[in-house]
Amino acid sequence: MSDLAFITGTRKGIGRAIAEHLLSQGWIVAGCSRRNSDLKHENYHHFSFDVSDESAVIETLKTVKKTLQPIKVLINNAGIASMNHLLLTPLKSYEAIFKTNVQGTFLILRETAKQMSRSGGGRIINFTSIAKPLNLEGEAIYAASKAAVESLTKTAAKELAKMNITVNAIGPTPIETDLIKLIPKEKIESLIQQQSIQRLGTYEDILNAVDFFIKPQSDFITGQILYLGGVN
Amino acid sequence: MRIERHTLLKLLQTILKELGEDLGKNTLLHTDEKTPLFGSRSELDSMNLVNFITEIEERLSDDYDITITLANASAMSRTRSPFLRVGSCIDYIIELIEQQNNE
Repeated sequence: MSDLAFITGTRKGIGRAIAEHLLSQGWIVAGCSRRNSDLKHENYHHFSFDVSDESAVIETLKTVKKTLQPIKVLINNAGIASMNHLLLTPLKSYEAIFKTNVQGTFLILRETAKQMSRSGGGRIINFTSIAKPLNLEGEAIYAASKAAVESLTKTAAKELAKMNITVNAIGPTPIETDLIKLIPKEKIESLIQQQSIQRLGTYEDILNAVDFFIKPQSDFITGQILYLGGVN
Repeated sequence: MRIERHTLLKLLQTILKELGEDLGKNTLLHTDEKTPLFGSRSELDSMNLVNFITEIEERLSDDYDITITLANASAMSRTRSPFLRVGSCIDYIIELIEQQNNE
């Protein structure tokens, strides 16, 4: 029987691309977003809920396990961003970003790891961003939330290693997603100048990193933050 | 949601027995409500206790359709931890289930 991957934020962008990629490889995929998805596939199951809502997370992951099977791979992709000068950043933006990016990542990770610990282990991939190591101006709160995700990744890797669970994170460069469509072109251009390989990222770049972390031979790799584009 | 005290005791004893077999600790094979779960007299180290608590949550969910989170803020802030002994842990589980039934 095929293994099951749970992916957050599958309605569009990176999450959707990963869902379609894993489905094409024969995985069963359970995905989620706050709204419904138009992704149709016999092995795709969609759940609409907010990843920062603790009872919704517990209830949904319980349903996934009961009606489908225990989760083998978790892709903790759901995230939101907001560009603003620090002095003009409303508290509401801070709260929304931390709620989804940090609280959501934590809750999904915690509940999934409980399942994985009982089913012999698994792979967890969180999502950070090059905004964190590059300390991008205008993204103070977003980058701070990703710093928290990186710290969570490294500590979780230690705590969950005995349960045969690896925890790593991927830090993509900007790619053509909704998150960057409102950012001025010059801003993106100057950001790309800071990468060793100076181009926009593609979904394939991210899918390659996902494949690497979930392949059986990667069971000795945990607590790692993999930035794309030569950023470090 | 409802579960009898003796059923909970049996569930916790089963989990402790399995842990005891894994860890080679015979004292965990025969436990009762007075068996300590943490502290100097307990056979469980901190990681064993984490596994024990996780197992309880998962089995309550899988086998009895009861969804509770044992490690919540109220448990952590009590002066007397509900995880001191098997009996206090059962008291706490019953309390959480009743709380949820009243919501």
